[in-house]
Amino acid sequence: MSKVLMKGNEALGEAAIRAGCVHFFGYPITPQTEIPEYLCKRLPEVGGVFLQAESEVAAIHMVYGAAGAGVRCMTSSSSPGISLMAEGMSYIAACELPCVVINMMRAGPGLGGILPAQSDYFQATRGHGHGDYQCIVLAPASVQEAVDLMTLAFDLAEKYRNPVMVCADGMIGQMMEPVEFRTEGRGPPMAENDWALTGCEGRPRRIVNSLHLAPEQNFACNVRLKEKYDRAAREEVRFEVYGDERPDLLVVAFGTMARISKSAIDDLRREGRRVGLFRPITLNPWPYARCRAAMDAMPVGAKVLDVEMSMGQMIYDVKLAAEGTRAIEFFGKAGGLVPSPDEVAERIRALLP
Amino acid sequence: MTAETLPLRPDDRLVMVVGNYGSGKTEVSVNLAIRAAASGRHVRIADLDLVNPYFRCREARRLMEANGVRVVVPPGAQAWADLPIVVPEVLAMLSPPAGTLSLFDVGGDDVGARVLGSLRDGAIATGYGLWQVINPERPFTRDPDGCLAMREAIERSSRLSVTGIVVNAHLMEETTADTVLRGVDVAREVARRGRVPIRFVAVMEGLADDPRIRAVAEPVFSMKRHMLPPWLLPAGEERLPAGRPVPLGRRNGAHGTYRD
Repeated sequence: MSKVLMKGNEALGEAAIRAGCVHFFGYPITPQTEIPEYLCKRLPEVGGVFLQAESEVAAIHMVYGAAGAGVRCMTSSSSPGISLMAEGMSYIAACELPCVVINMMRAGPGLGGILPAQSDYFQATRGHGHGDYQCIVLAPASVQEAVDLMTLAFDLAEKYRNPVMVCADGMIGQMMEPVEFRTEGRGPPMAENDWALTGCEGRPRRIVNSLHLAPEQNFACNVRLKEKYDRAAREEVRFEVYGDERPDLLVVAFGTMARISKSAIDDLRREGRRVGLFRPITLNPWPYARCRAAMDAMPVGAKVLDVEMSMGQMIYDVKLAAEGTRAIEFFGKAGGLVPSPDEVAERIRALLP
Repeated sequence: MTAETLPLRPDDRLVMVVGNYGSGKTEVSVNLAIRAAASGRHVRIADLDLVNPYFRCREARRLMEANGVRVVVPPGAQAWADLPIVVPEVLAMLSPPAGTLSLFDVGGDDVGARVLGSLRDGAIATGYGLWQVINPERPFTRDPDGCLAMREAIERSSRLSVTGIVVNAHLMEETTADTVLRGVDVAREVARRGRVPIRFVAVMEGLADDPRIRAVAEPVFSMKRHMLPPWLLPAGEERLPAGRPVPLGRRNGAHGTYRD
């Protein structure tokens, strides 16, 4: 199929439709507004529903309802809006309903600014709402990868009956890149299942509910969810390795920061330095074992540098992967500032012998 | 036509660059501003993109200023707000003194062109160029029908008429001579059916020397890429002082800046 030049946000909207998304509920916020803007034009063309809610709180609860009715549905927002969705996400996870949520991260905390950041990492990977639940989190590093991950996002949401978050920074939403869609037209509907509320005529009624007053009952829900997340950790880990396989320094970065780090690594390798990159694509489940294997392959004394567009959040997962076997250095900028390839390269040079 | 031509006539005093999102209005505007200034004209460029939060010409502000272009943007931190701010100097730009070029880099689609409605009377009094940038690699302007529909929408919301077409067919780094020539074909059809001339064909400098592009009848404008994402920043580029703008691009000569 031929390529088309698309803005990341538009491409995500189109990719959602091709993944079978037929209901979108959302509320505008920079830098993700082109997602609802695109879908409000396109969804009616494919027989779908676009609805601008009165707030993010309303939007996520509309998703809750649509997911409960067994339709492939989605919402999107950016950092402050995602915070507002925390309660609804917890309910959706508790009720084991599939949905996709896109977070086009901007700088925070508070209202922050409209420029790109990766500072919602804690929020995305640590459950974000209340209670013992997690989201599966996918982090694309290009517009094409964002497109490709949308199909995976809907499939994983359904496979695990759990919210899947596509977590990108505003740069990916706002930039233009040539993309290729691998499928035509509207994607498949949600598979037949035994839980969706589709009208109980001729069959026993089904109930979607997250209220479990009896502690044993609630605990059973907690255990069921945990088993699901453990299974995802075994089966769904995705990552990329780049550069030298036995590097003197391993950069760990995701999304746009990984892409910038690749430019820095290319420059350093041309200088004859041995540098590699480990890029988690699933931020949850995090590829601990594979990152550890990359670290174990390095020479004694080789270093690890975690690079983020935040004040240091993923670094805790990198440290968990290392389990004390390596010292983990950090370089990052936040607030909407994006480290340049030269800045990353300079930091790497300073750490190399 | 020779690629060194600056496709501006002396009577192009007030030029507004419009088109759909991603057509490349900003890249065309920044290149025109820098080259017009280099040719000795006084150039003022207004960043009138009120609908796009990133990749606006204000990100190339320092580059343009270093090249003698006056850049009109909201002051200070307001330049990074997602608010529809039009500064008073924009109104002054509607009556450019002799020898001055006023260039308006307008936001995408009809939504982005709406701001021009408020400048309509002044533009008509002075005489204006409203140039529609066409990139048939974008989803909604892949064919002449799409380009003409976009033109109609822009004219409706700006209450001004398109006076010229700029062909800027591209797929970013994946642009080939075929991409450009396909764009020229679409644009010729748009020009014929819409009864407006093609002002020029914009191409990146690497492609401008391609024999098939040199053979194009319309003026060819050879551009440098200034609006780049951070991972494309040229290596060894002069470092900006701490706390100053973050450099924006790589691998293509001159740089833009991510913020100022």
